[in-house]
Amino acid sequence: MSSSSSVYPTPINAFKQSKRSVLSVIVDNEPGILARIVGLFSGRGYNIEALNVTVVDIENNLSRITIETLGEEKVIRQIIAQLEKLVPVHSATNLAHLKESYEAEICLVKIEFDNEDQDSKILNFADIYRTRTVQKRQHIVVYEISGTSERINKFLDDLNTISGIKVELVRSGPIGLGI
Amino acid sequence: MSTDQEISGAEIILQALKDQEVDTIFGYPGGAVLPIYDALFGQNFLKHVLVRQEAGAVHAAEGYARSSGKVGVLLVTSGPGVTNVVTGLTDALMDSIPLVCISGQVPSHLIGTDAFQECDTTGITRPCTKHNYLVKDVSKLSETIHEAFEIARSGRPGPVLIDIPKDVQFAKSNYIKKSEVTFKSHRIKSGSKDINREFIETLVDHIKKSKKPIFYVGGGCLNSGPLASQELMKLVELTNIPITTTLHGLGCYPGEDAKSLGMLGMHGTYEANLAMNQCDLMINVGARFDDRVTGRLDAFSPDSIKFHFDIDQSSINKNVKVDYHTNTDITLSLKAINEYITSNSIQFDLNQYSDWWNSIEEWRGKDCLHYEQSDDTIKPQHAITRLYELTNTKDTFITTEVGQHQMWAAQYYKFDKPNRWLTSGGLGTMGFGMPAAIGAQMANPGALVVDIAGEASFLMNIQEIATAVQYKLPIKIFILNNEYMGMVRQWQELLHGSRYSESYVDALPDFKKLAESFNAVGVRAKNLSELDDAINEMISVDRPVIADIWVDKKENCFPMIPSGAAHNEMLLSKYDKEKPENQEKGKVLV
Repeated sequence: MSSSSSVYPTPINAFKQSKRSVLSVIVDNEPGILARIVGLFSGRGYNIEALNVTVVDIENNLSRITIETLGEEKVIRQIIAQLEKLVPVHSATNLAHLKESYEAEICLVKIEFDNEDQDSKILNFADIYRTRTVQKRQHIVVYEISGTSERINKFLDDLNTISGIKVELVRSGPIGLGI
Repeated sequence: MSTDQEISGAEIILQALKDQEVDTIFGYPGGAVLPIYDALFGQNFLKHVLVRQEAGAVHAAEGYARSSGKVGVLLVTSGPGVTNVVTGLTDALMDSIPLVCISGQVPSHLIGTDAFQECDTTGITRPCTKHNYLVKDVSKLSETIHEAFEIARSGRPGPVLIDIPKDVQFAKSNYIKKSEVTFKSHRIKSGSKDINREFIETLVDHIKKSKKPIFYVGGGCLNSGPLASQELMKLVELTNIPITTTLHGLGCYPGEDAKSLGMLGMHGTYEANLAMNQCDLMINVGARFDDRVTGRLDAFSPDSIKFHFDIDQSSINKNVKVDYHTNTDITLSLKAINEYITSNSIQFDLNQYSDWWNSIEEWRGKDCLHYEQSDDTIKPQHAITRLYELTNTKDTFITTEVGQHQMWAAQYYKFDKPNRWLTSGGLGTMGFGMPAAIGAQMANPGALVVDIAGEASFLMNIQEIATAVQYKLPIKIFILNNEYMGMVRQWQELLHGSRYSESYVDALPDFKKLAESFNAVGVRAKNLSELDDAINEMISVDRPVIADIWVDKKENCFPMIPSGAAHNEMLLSKYDKEKPENQEKGKVLV
């Protein structure tokens, strides 16, 4: 069984940096729009830490793209200016610049375990973090946890303290709204 | 009014071009655009210029656009046809030139099958266009073309590509007129039309307070239209502030005027660069703080308050942090400033900058563009000086290739009007100049159009001489022939221990015979005594001319700010030695 610390090593370090920004971009839902945005980031050497794209307004054919990125304030401002130059982009907003904004992420975690000691520890954390049990079998459990990315990170960090379990997960990346 | 009658996609394209008042397109036929070429046959409102390679079409369209202020249009086929224009589209994007490129695509049902002459055109051109489209539905074609033109010319102009599968060119639909289309405002980033009053008043206050102000003017002033130049001239006259321009700003302000310090930057004048280095107020009108202008960023104009006019919000604070900015169109902003000054009877003390002007005159006294012309070998600087002196009474358009000759042209040819200077600045595309001259001559019949070229650049798109001959375009190719890729050779001399790796252009053609073989005219000047005759013959012949001017092979372009150096670390001549530590740093930069 592999060490559980190797399951999610990269994003954790990134999250811990203070220069994280979440950008919310409203775009016309048309072919190539995602490629335009991703190409802008790769072509100009910016980072995408997480990305979420979904149609949010069928009538007006709009999608909302949420991008988590890293960089200094100057870089983030330049990213927003570059995004707003793209023809299908209606607006690009740094959620941190809004007076009030709400962020959430959803994560599904599959945990494989061998013994009761592990099971009770897992249950304990699942209870503390108020996860939803999606499926439970004899040596396998699937939880759904949502909330801020930070909260999910903490849950995963705690799970990580249980030795000998195998964790597999998927995360939506943060989504957010300004109020 | 949309016509009730359904017409083919190909006919819709031509109707839309007519509606957009396009009179000239540059192109090259091929399988995926045959329906459009069929529609072109037998119509007479649109002149098609058949180039010899698609790269020629895109640079010609750039030349047409830059010299006319209109949108340049080109038509190419799928696959290699469109990959050949990628360089030119990137060039137009970097230099903010409005283009519409129509490309054919394999029929819709073959897309994605690796069909003959298929490529992912929108994928390939996405990063090198302002916007691009793949039109899959003929009923969307008219609106798409009209929107493409609007996007190309509005805000910061740029190239737009429309990829049209062959079946869409055959399919039928109604044509929708330009006047019938309403554009969605978020898609047309036209820049603000609202005057930023606070910016203007603050600027005028700072002008009054400053001791060492300077105007730094770029291509944005040109793109705002000829009125921007006139307002700029008025403002310079009202304030008595010196003005320097970028490579693309040349012509926005008369180059011979005493207030003009010439071009700044890597090969800019001593006075322009020192003035930028020491100014206390910088008024940037449509320039983007390019690395060729700023040199080492942390030493760039360290003590100035910076005002920035730029329609493109992403140009603000991108490379250099500015104190105040406006994204309003430059013509409107400059006009508002002049009106604010005159309507409030604001008087500037024309002597308040006398110390500043004294310093500038002292720097000017260095005569940084001085060169020694011997009796025999032609100095390239002298060739351009004579070209200028023998052509400045005519309305002359100058295009260039890229390299030493381009910088010498920028230094020694003086422009007094905008849109007369066509050069590849941002991308630095060798091979740009001759096709651009073709485009400029198409837009300006009867004008004198000269491509100041180097022999190496000229060879990159040499096939287009046939285009000039076919359409009887009397463009002049003025080659400063030094048998080297001169700028590469110069950098190798200054930074790489004179190891001239692969920069000598061996096996050059005989350009005079070459001209004759294309049914153009060839002239040659081997030494000083032949120079004026060659230039005069070149100008007087009403046919395309290749002038092969043999110049000093080892001449370098000075002044020069080596990469990674500051404006006040300029090299003025070959006797100035670069500091070894700068040499090492400069080597890794471009």
